Amino acid sequence: MKSSSFARPSLSSILQPVFSLRPKHGRPIICSTILPKPHTPIYLRPPAFQATLSELKKWHIWAKNQATSVGSTFSDLDNGPDSTLLHRELNWLVEDALEQPAILLPQNSRNNYDDATPLSIRACLDDLYKLWKQRIEERRPFQYVVGCEHWRDLILSVEEGVLIPRPETEMILDLVDNAVKGNEELKNGLWADLGTGSGALAIGVARILGLGCGRVFATDLSPIAVAVASYNVERYNLQDRIAVRLGSWFDPLKDVQGELSGFVSNPPYIPSEDINGLQAEVSKHEPRLALDGGANGMNDLIHLCNGAASMLKPGGFFAFETNGEKQSKFLVDYMHTKVKGSFYGVNIISDFAGIQRFVTGYRA
Amino acid sequence: MGNGGRFRRFHGCVMIAAFQKLQSHFVMRGINVCQLAGHNPNQVFDKNTLRRRSYSTSTFHKTAQLQPELSVDLINIMEQKLSVIENRHAYLQAIVNQVDALPEEYFTANKELKKLRHTIDVVTELRKKHKEIEGLKLLIAETQDDKDMHQMASEEMGQASEEEKHLRYLLLKSLLPKDDADERDCILEVRAGTGGQEASLFAMDIFKMYEKYSQKKGWKFDVLDVAESDLKGYKEACAAISGADVYGKLKFESGIHRVQRVPVTEKAGRVHTSAVSVVILPQADQVDVHLRNEDLKIDTYRSGGSGGQHANTTNSAVRVTHVPTGLTVAIQDERSQHQNKAKALKVLCAKLYEMERSRADASRSRLRAEQIGSGDRSERIRTYNFPQGRVTDHRVGITSHSIDGVMQGENLDTFVDALLLQQEMDAIASLTSKQ
Ligand SMILES: C[S@@+](CC[C@H](N)C(=O)[O-])C[C@H]1O[C@@H](n2cnc3c(N)ncnc32)[C@H](O)[C@@H]1O
Repeated sequence: MKSSSFARPSLSSILQPVFSLRPKHGRPIICSTILPKPHTPIYLRPPAFQATLSELKKWHIWAKNQATSVGSTFSDLDNGPDSTLLHRELNWLVEDALEQPAILLPQNSRNNYDDATPLSIRACLDDLYKLWKQRIEERRPFQYVVGCEHWRDLILSVEEGVLIPRPETEMILDLVDNAVKGNEELKNGLWADLGTGSGALAIGVARILGLGCGRVFATDLSPIAVAVASYNVERYNLQDRIAVRLGSWFDPLKDVQGELSGFVSNPPYIPSEDINGLQAEVSKHEPRLALDGGANGMNDLIHLCNGAASMLKPGGFFAFETNGEKQSKFLVDYMHTKVKGSFYGVNIISDFAGIQRFVTGYRA
Repeated sequence: MGNGGRFRRFHGCVMIAAFQKLQSHFVMRGINVCQLAGHNPNQVFDKNTLRRRSYSTSTFHKTAQLQPELSVDLINIMEQKLSVIENRHAYLQAIVNQVDALPEEYFTANKELKKLRHTIDVVTELRKKHKEIEGLKLLIAETQDDKDMHQMASEEMGQASEEEKHLRYLLLKSLLPKDDADERDCILEVRAGTGGQEASLFAMDIFKMYEKYSQKKGWKFDVLDVAESDLKGYKEACAAISGADVYGKLKFESGIHRVQRVPVTEKAGRVHTSAVSVVILPQADQVDVHLRNEDLKIDTYRSGGSGGQHANTTNSAVRVTHVPTGLTVAIQDERSQHQNKAKALKVLCAKLYEMERSRADASRSRLRAEQIGSGDRSERIRTYNFPQGRVTDHRVGITSHSIDGVMQGENLDTFVDALLLQQEMDAIASLTSKQ
């Protein structure tokens, strides 16, 4: 794998790629240091294919009909997408796949383009049919279909095996931003994003820290996640400021124990037995490793909470995402009792839907 | 009312016609059309108090800019203003130089000084020019016998008075009341009004017209949100336009735009009349409107259930509510929630800013009401008549016979420039009438 280490000489000497996989109990062991090659999102592929306008129109009408026929079946079934949303997704697919997407927009139907006009596309016509079929018939998540997710001001590459970053998680970066504002020590320190998935939080944190001395570690147990996160890091040209490491939680960070200025994590937090009941896009397509938090969903959160005490330096900041009120309260309670005296300023913060989603605080 | 109003409007047209004479499509409809615009009976103008309506293309003015010749009366008024400005400037300068000036005093004086700086620079230049002209006059009188010298002095005199004229014009411009928001970027809102589907189609056409116009101007046109109608038109659309002096240029586009044409859906070929409303707001940021996060309520789409890792939805719609005023803005077209929120805040800030402006500056809006139309958003400002291929602006009474050019954003300048000119003239008129 390409486990980047930092340009800073003092660090590069101590930061060694760590490949020791110490998976948690019951998790599959992947003992390969060769990372899979990440897929390129459709919008970044060259427009190497062609189809005539009439062929594309035909596909577009077919795809719209497919979307319409869904009605509210999915949303009634398992809170899945309804037609309105699928129509919007179809527009985005057109936006990503066509070199001149505007030509298929309804507003241009009055312009008299010749139906035989050849148009450049970034995936072949057959694939466009296949992709939309997968979206509708297999409920393949739209973000996997186009290979990317728009998240905050980023466009992150995603694929099967990597969790699609959620809008709720965007707020963690606001929390980090607030913590870092006016605190030079935090701003110039070492940070970590544990269970980085696509690299969303690590990239966001690195951009908040800016061009100072701040550096970010991103770890994940999943080789696909590490590969995709590394790809995204490079796409945002942050390889000098973010080191992506393969391994379980804090394991790959032994060399910086007690030195972290901050860390963020959105670990798996769904109770094992709930997973099969989730909407098809999630339960059938997203990696279980990214979702399953054990019997009550708290396994990883507790593990991270224990680790936080030894990894953070005094005054260091942390932010966790949780499943909601129950987990957040449990975690706060845990900090006040089991790891008493390790933290201060512990706070529960709600997401925009009013769900008590985040727990933040500082190392005492 | 008397002839004053009619006179004013009439000359507005002549003036603009002179300005636009190179544009062949440009047709004056004469006094009758001009009369359509509202006029203010309180402003009575005597033929001579206004400036002479001729235009000189100044030689040292490289760009063929419009530079009216000013009437004697107006020049006299400005002369009086010169001393007032100079005195004020000296007074403020004294405060700022005072060692024991109160911080508050110092601050306000300094602020006003900054505002005056440009004007005072022009005044200084103008005084210098006057001296130069006095000198040249003397020289001309003394060199009656020396033909060469006399000739040279006269030539220089000619140039100096051209320059004087230009400086006077600059001074006039700096004296005219200015809207601080003119330099800002703007938010454009287009909404289909009466006329059903046809109105939605026209709303889309108008929206695109501004998009093309912005492209032509080199402005940035960001679509914020579009609510499509069933028949491929827009029920409502919203964009952020940024560039130099965007608000100042587009502000007079606010109002009702009426369209007359045969709808695509109309089998019998009858001409329908429908309308869309356009609103142009200056952009503002959270600081401008003192927006506090505590005052905001943000709602996001929830697919029911617990959200977070449970759900994967591409619906990232955001509705922002400003609790104290109850204003809400919803944006759904962006692919990330963060960006939907950013756009919603942009629109919200513009709306709050506009509210604040109209509250804090009632006099300004009164001024505007006397001027170009009423500034009322429900006023019908323009008609696009497709069968006749013409667009008429009812405030300046101008008609363009190139409707396609206008819709393509090519000829919209016809109206934008005319309205700006009208604004300037009205400002001059109120400057003179206040004396
Ligand atoms: C809910 S996802 C979050 C991904 C990403 N941070 C985000 O917010 O989009 C949890 C991530 O934790 C990773 N993970 C699960 N178990 C882990 C472990 N033992 N050590 C490190 N990462 C782990 C998963 O592979 C997954 O990428």
